[in-house]
This record gives sequence, C-alpha cells and structure tokens, in this order.
Amino acid sequence: MSLYDAIRLTEIMLGIAFAQQSLEHLKSFTNERWLFLPRLILAVLLIIGFQAAWVCFLLLLLGIAILHRFQGPYNGGADRMSLLILSCLTLAHFAPTEKWQELAFGYLALQLMLSYFISGWVKISNIDWRSGRALRDVFQFSAYPVSEHLRALSTSPRLLHAMSWSVMIFELLFPFALLSEISLFIALGIAASFHLANACLFGLNRFFWIWVAAYSSIIWFQQWLQIRGIL
Amino acid sequence: MKKLTSLNMLNTIKRLLPALLPSWRFFDFIVASPRIQFSLLKTENETSRQWQEFRPRPTQLSFAAMIKRLLWNPEWNESLFMVSCAERLLDQPTQHSEDEILKRIQHDITKNHSDTSAIHEASHLQFRILLINRKGTELLQEIAFTSRIQLMQDER
Repeated sequence: MSLYDAIRLTEIMLGIAFAQQSLEHLKSFTNERWLFLPRLILAVLLIIGFQAAWVCFLLLLLGIAILHRFQGPYNGGADRMSLLILSCLTLAHFAPTEKWQELAFGYLALQLMLSYFISGWVKISNIDWRSGRALRDVFQFSAYPVSEHLRALSTSPRLLHAMSWSVMIFELLFPFALLSEISLFIALGIAASFHLANACLFGLNRFFWIWVAAYSSIIWFQQWLQIRGIL
Repeated sequence: MKKLTSLNMLNTIKRLLPALLPSWRFFDFIVASPRIQFSLLKTENETSRQWQEFRPRPTQLSFAAMIKRLLWNPEWNESLFMVSCAERLLDQPTQHSEDEILKRIQHDITKNHSDTSAIHEASHLQFRILLINRKGTELLQEIAFTSRIQLMQDER
C-alpha cells in the first residue's frame, strides 16, 4: 500500500467515524449542534476527498473547540485517538517532503501499536488482571456493562480468567504481528473483533470505528519496514 | 482578560497533550465506579428523600440491539460522558461538570418522562453521586457528592 493510498483510506475511515459521532450529537443541545453540524459536513468532504489537507486542518481546529466545550474528551480514549489521527494526517498533508510525511504518518502507526502493547503491559503488571479479578470487577460493578444480565458474567471466574489472559497475551504480542503481512492482517482481524466485542458488551461503539480508521497506517508501516529491509 | 485567555490556552494545551502523547493505560486499575441518582423537588428548601437512578441499564439487551448500537448509541455515549463528569467532580470539582450533569438529567426527564405527575409537580432538581467499590467480596456504596438544588428550566 502506497503512502498516498494509506492516507486516503485513513481519511475515508475517519470521515465515516466522524459522521457517525456527529449524527449522534445532532439530536442534542443547540450549542452542541453548532459544533457537530460543521463536523458532519467536513466529515463528508473528507470522505469524498475534497481539499483533504484543509479539511483535516479545520477538523483539527474543531476537535480542539470540542475539547474546550466539554472541558476534556467527551468519549475518553476514542476522542484522543481521533485527535491523534487528525494531527498526524494534517502534519502529513502539510509536510514539506515525503520523508516528513512518512514520519508523521509513521508516528500514527507507532502509536497504534503502542495502544495495544502498553494496554497489555499495564494489565499484566497488575495482580488483579493476572488473577482475573479485574475483569470480574468490570462486569460486577463498573459503569460499562450495557445490561444487568451481563453482570452475571462476574460469577464465571474461570471464563473471565481465560478472557483476561487472552486479552493480555494478544496485546503484548501485537508488535510481533509486524513481522509479516499475513500475521499483521490476522492480528488486525483479532483486534477489530476485540473492539467489536467491547462495543457490544460495554457500548464503546466509537472506539471500534476510530481504531479501525487507524489500521491502514500500520499496514503501510509494515510494508515500509519490509521494503527497507528493517524486518 | 488577557490572563484569562492565556489560562484558557494553557488548559486547552493541557487537554490536547494526552491525545498527542497518549498513555494508553486502559483499565489498568479498576477503581470505584460512580452512579448518578437524582431527586425531583417541589420547592428549593425541600430535602431530597426519593432518589432515582439516572438511566438504569436494561435487564437484557438483544444481540441485534447491541449491533444497532454500533451505529447509533447517543444516549449511552452521553451517559459515559456523565460518568466522566462525575469522576471529574470527585477528582477536581468544577461548576462545568455539575452543570453538565444537571442539564442532561433535566433534558432527559422532561423528554422521556414528561407524562409522569412527579415531573409536573417538580420545580427543582438535585443529583448525587454514589460510589460503588468492592472490599473483599462485598460491594460497598457511599454517597460521594450531592449537587446544589437547581431550579428546573421549563422545557415541557
């Protein structure tokens, strides 16, 4: 995948994610509509590829305004990932040479890899995650399970123990997926399924769309590393 | 004025930095979890006695409904934002977080429960934050915050 194709695919996926988020806000308060209606229009422009560099820049400014409006992220990590992707895309568009473009877009790929690896590292460092207790707590009393019925999963310690270790091992091994194209595609398939499960069980739908939007950066990055004989 | 603008800029940069240099420490520790409860009052001086959970989650959700929420999930995302506001209130209280929660509760109850008599009789609103945590095998609840009593704006 060329750098141009990877950037374009990221823009399309990001546009879809922003359109979805913006539509959700249009039924809200007037002062939110003033922020999210322009965002929806810019998202559509990004999808069709109209003046993508300036659209990314405007979306970044709007993202900062939204951050200011809610005095922090509205949707935690999903909003932070959105701003990270937008910053990298904007820098890549306005970079003076291809080397700088690669650096900006490569930073996104690196952060995507770290998003899995560090999450796995902080979990495995915690005895509650290693014993499965942390995931039981998530189901038992956290604000995330989407129905009361799901809380019953907290009474299945063996299942949650296995789930905890599966998640931790997958997250920690994620960087090794870069070793080949096939292993990366398999890892991204598993990662997308993981986000899909989080969207279903915990209602974190925005995480699903925004993380998938960053995937083309790591596909391009893996090929970039391979072409240069780094892998 | 100039000082206020600089302060705003500084706060915005402080909020933007975690996006540019993320920590990615998702769910590293499972901490006490906040729940928002509200009470409708007839006067400003009434003491809240009947607390109701704000947007209690459904008993069960079908797989189809979960998939639908992948595309359309505004209420749940708003509830997660209110959880963030509740956490901010307990961590570093600001008027903004309290206002956001009060505004969203009032909007929700006038929109979705306007047919109940309690809404029509009420003129004021108050919320509190319950903090749920596990000690050993037991779940403990404590009232961690009680908001001001707010006059309800007429949205009916």
